[in-house]
Amino acid sequence: MSRKNRFMVVDDELIVRESLAAWLEQEGAVVDRAESGEQALDFMQENFYDILFVDIKMPGMGGFGLLERAKKSFPTTVVVIITAYGTVDHAVQAMKLGANDFLVKPFEPEGLGIMVAKLMEHKRLLEETQYLRDEVTRCWGGPDEIIGQSKPMLELFDTIKEVAPSESSILILGETGTGKELIARAIHAHSKRMGGPFVPINCGAIPESLMESEIFGHEKGSFTGAVRPKKGLIEVAENGTLFLDEVGEITPKMQVDLLRVLQDKLFYRVGGVEPIRADFRLISATHRDLPHEVAQGTFRQDFFYRINVITLRVPPLRDRREDVPLLVTRCLQRFARETNRDVDSINDEAMKILVEYDWPGNVRELENVVERAVVTSKRRIVTPEAFAYLTGQDICAGAGFSPRSLEQVEIEHIRRVLEEEEWNISRTAKVLEVDRTTLHKKIRKYGLNR
Amino acid sequence: MIEHEKKPEPRTPGKAIIAVLPLGRVREDILRVVADGLQGILRLPVDLRDPIAVPEDAFMESRNQYNAMALIKYLDRELSHNSLKILGITANDICNPILTYVFGEAYMGGRSAVMSSARLKAGLLGEPVSREQFLDRVVKVAIHEIGHTFNLRHCHTDRCVMRASNTLLELDEKLNYLCDYCEIFLFDSLREALKDPEVADGSV
Repeated sequence: MSRKNRFMVVDDELIVRESLAAWLEQEGAVVDRAESGEQALDFMQENFYDILFVDIKMPGMGGFGLLERAKKSFPTTVVVIITAYGTVDHAVQAMKLGANDFLVKPFEPEGLGIMVAKLMEHKRLLEETQYLRDEVTRCWGGPDEIIGQSKPMLELFDTIKEVAPSESSILILGETGTGKELIARAIHAHSKRMGGPFVPINCGAIPESLMESEIFGHEKGSFTGAVRPKKGLIEVAENGTLFLDEVGEITPKMQVDLLRVLQDKLFYRVGGVEPIRADFRLISATHRDLPHEVAQGTFRQDFFYRINVITLRVPPLRDRREDVPLLVTRCLQRFARETNRDVDSINDEAMKILVEYDWPGNVRELENVVERAVVTSKRRIVTPEAFAYLTGQDICAGAGFSPRSLEQVEIEHIRRVLEEEEWNISRTAKVLEVDRTTLHKKIRKYGLNR
Repeated sequence: MIEHEKKPEPRTPGKAIIAVLPLGRVREDILRVVADGLQGILRLPVDLRDPIAVPEDAFMESRNQYNAMALIKYLDRELSHNSLKILGITANDICNPILTYVFGEAYMGGRSAVMSSARLKAGLLGEPVSREQFLDRVVKVAIHEIGHTFNLRHCHTDRCVMRASNTLLELDEKLNYLCDYCEIFLFDSLREALKDPEVADGSV
């Protein structure tokens, strides 16, 4: 054992407790001793244990009771049941209740060492799996990665958590750029299919002629150019989630084909004769008004009902303006880090412009705007000038143009830069491209002060 | 690079740090090699005592073995001895309540340890081993168990005598001396023990 492990031996028999604990201590572990299940639970409130060695027969709670309580409250703690020859059946019963192994007294010395090493490896793998699972969830964007504190977004987060564990098809409606794919990934990350793949298909981006082959795959020789068999995206999504982005772009023929797959849970590759089992959860998204298109007869009603078991609506950014400062700040930090720019904040005036802007391109547009501001900013603080193109006004010139003297413009300009640079003379001089002495002279001359 | 610290001086000449105590009839060559081994390899004064009878209440009739833990407790409880640690040696087979057999047994930081020569004579296929190989195993077990009484844990250094050895093969594979780290830990532990006034004046 390379790191300091903490074990507990729970046995009402002092001699067993002592001998096992002494052996484990020689292996370098910290070992606590408990003479009852109740005492063991008390210890577990105070310390984290890697392995519990638990005798089945104890007065009071007993080994089974402790096993159940331990597995419920401390699922990553490994539990080894200690038993005698006569009670192997009990040990088997304990394994069914979640025990990780059992130790029949007396034990061959080398077997005990191997068992402890094996259990520690098992525990390490469990912890690693849990870590990787958390990382995947984080990278794929769980609800924590979707930014928003507004009422509609909080309601959306609740709905995601509620619907994610079900197997029902989900249709996500929202304007372009609202983050529909992020929502789909969050649903996948919180579903039972999280361990499987998330396969996004942009239905609007795949040419009609390739769509069938892309989605269903093809057999060798099924058409010119099919030189080898190919798996379709439905097969790739097995045990996972298939995300049909821009589902409103699907042709009527493809709607029929997909409808058949959703109903029969079977499909055929192009040119194939063997049915293939389809096991995926479908999430679709569109910015189009599908109910209207169904009413117009341009989108199949049966297919619409099949993909629309649950509907989620992602609000446009203009309907949740209170989220704009949060989004801007996060984007600013992210782009500053990614582009290695020394830009760390945005002033109130500039933020006001962004909050009041209508954001026709939603969050995607906001990201682009902030990225542009970070890349083009010459200062640490992003100022309204960076967003002049959004409002179509020359913000630098103030609310309106009025004839002013050159000196007046200079005074205002120096004061503005001083404030942006928090009255740091060196930084201000650098921005104004004058030396510090000149700047000091001008401050004195114009009587500028905080 | 490990810098060896200066070894602590023995308490007073003639007073042993380790006592070797035969429990029942134990071959003279075994006792001699253990005493020499502990003294020569650990460089600690060793006192070889006269044998005493094996306490019968340590016998486990159902397993036809002696309970090593009971022997340790007997040594701790019943014997007053003028040494820091004591190693009981028996020719009888020993075990503990959870293990079918042990070559030796000791508590971490305890005062007494016990070892048996009973299972050290066999070769890997059950044939008897040479006298040299047998005595080599005896010395390794003796150093290993005394090491535990000085708070030395099982070591992961390739062939250190403190490496865990649950089988004869593992016992044969390791060497009969401490690695650099275990040696440092041993003398740290000894130095700590010698700070105890009762130990220092030899009244333990």
